Amino acid sequence: MKTILQTVDLKMIYQIGKVAVNALRGVNLTVNQAEFVAIMGPSGCGKSTMLHILGGMLKPSSGSVLIDGQDLSKMSDGSRTELRRQKIGFVFQKFNLFPTLTAEGNIRLAERIRLNGNHKNDSERRREILRLLNLEGRLNHKPLELSGGEQQRVAIARALVGSPAIVLADEPTGNLDSENSQIVLKMLQELNGKFGQTIVMITHSPEAASIAQRVVHMRDGQIVNK
Amino acid sequence: MDNLVTANLKQRPIRTIISVIGVALGVVLVVLMVGLSHGVLQEQGRRNSNVGAELLFTRPNNYGPGTSSVLSLPVQYAPKIAEINGVQAVSPVGQYLKPSNQSFGMEMVEGIDIDTYQKVTNLSIDQGKTLSEDNEVIVDPIYAKDKKVKIGDSIDLFGHKFYVSGIYQPEIGARIKIKLSMMQNLLGSKDRCSFVFVKCQTTSNQEQVATNILSTLPGNKVLFTREIQSLYEKGLPAVNTFVKAVVVVSIIISILVIMLAMYTTITERTREIGVLKSLGASKSFIIFEIEKEALLISVLGTLLGYLVAITGRWLIIKNTSLIIDLELKWLLYAALVGILSGLIGALYPALKVANQDPVKALSYE
Repeated sequence: MKTILQTVDLKMIYQIGKVAVNALRGVNLTVNQAEFVAIMGPSGCGKSTMLHILGGMLKPSSGSVLIDGQDLSKMSDGSRTELRRQKIGFVFQKFNLFPTLTAEGNIRLAERIRLNGNHKNDSERRREILRLLNLEGRLNHKPLELSGGEQQRVAIARALVGSPAIVLADEPTGNLDSENSQIVLKMLQELNGKFGQTIVMITHSPEAASIAQRVVHMRDGQIVNK
Repeated sequence: MDNLVTANLKQRPIRTIISVIGVALGVVLVVLMVGLSHGVLQEQGRRNSNVGAELLFTRPNNYGPGTSSVLSLPVQYAPKIAEINGVQAVSPVGQYLKPSNQSFGMEMVEGIDIDTYQKVTNLSIDQGKTLSEDNEVIVDPIYAKDKKVKIGDSIDLFGHKFYVSGIYQPEIGARIKIKLSMMQNLLGSKDRCSFVFVKCQTTSNQEQVATNILSTLPGNKVLFTREIQSLYEKGLPAVNTFVKAVVVVSIIISILVIMLAMYTTITERTREIGVLKSLGASKSFIIFEIEKEALLISVLGTLLGYLVAITGRWLIIKNTSLIIDLELKWLLYAALVGILSGLIGALYPALKVANQDPVKALSYE
């Protein structure tokens, strides 16, 4: 199986005043294509920092991050943005939809950014994803008119625009009730199974982690088991 | 609503409307103030060039738009000019620019010697009687209509009460004319005037007459009245400076309004900017989105500015004697002022937000 994501001795040190905080202390992680990996750990263990580095939104202090063979840690801010546009899809705990846009508007905005003027988007795949996420009848609604579960499904659909190599999900069920959590988790699982979508998900919930093919535990900026 | 730019503008309608009004204000300032200054100048030029006399004798730098109102030319020049070969008649005239009594702006008052004035111009008394007493004034029909004055009504000039004795035709020189001797007394300029109108025996020899005058009375200036309008149309340093100041103020207003609007909007939408970055939006994409918002506000502001300016011009022309020129060139400049100012005003907020740390932006509450 092809390796889609690899970190090698990944370190991140935040300088807060005169104090250096080691958020990541040499993380080595490999994720294969079409794998669904959950990362668990207590608050402050470095999960979110790692997710931001994997998504190219933070530059690590040292070590390397290979996404589909390209080393993020050696890239400029512009190149990391380009790589994020082409290969990474984010799903956030708070959904982070644009409140002024409809569900479809949110998805189309992502298409406009991801496809960068290239209109050859895969409409068949788009339709299939919307069907899978059960969003076809909700596209003309604004986020405030949607339930939390529906909002998160729109956010997932948005993350899948442009067929990213990896979807990075940051506590995707953290703001949902158990029923909607189940729906969203089931859909992530289906996306992974049906489309072979690689997913790296951060979660506190053992129930959420249980649907992943592999669970990685973090503590004090390190992976403690795989 | 699938368009981020229009959706954002609709999300905060009051802010959008205020921003549009801010840009419109700049456009209105440019269109109306420039149109007004040019219109009044050109109208004044047209009125002064229509007098009928061919030549105007004065001191160097003592005639034209923006010159001093002081009567500085001795009237004794008039009889000397009358004796020059080719001259048919002369008339000394005093011109004084004073603040308007009843409306904003300035108004010109002329002091004339009615007998000689009628010999060098085609002025005739249409209603009432000619100027005979010191406390009398004649006005043109436009002034009478605008100020709603009729024969026998009083007008306050220089702190004195004058009575309208007649209404003259055609519209030449200042709209209000009093006796030159009275103006001299009131201004403390005995035996002085602003210039002398010169009527030539034949219009075809005016160049020769001008040469004769200058050779007889060197160190003075002779203007051809046919050129007075173009002299006014060229404007004058003071008006040009005023116009530039209006344009600069308009640009500053528009820039500040847009900058403030965009700055508050991006601060409010910091988290959304983080989301855009997480989606892979480049700096140029984000800058372009902010600039598109500013452009839309600027275009709407420019259109509103045109509408207000055109309506304002109609109202001013309808209710006053002021002339406002709507020149295509200045309409385009006003649009440029509105649109470019908007784009410039949005640039700093756009650059600031485009360089924002995506992680910090996403954690913004």
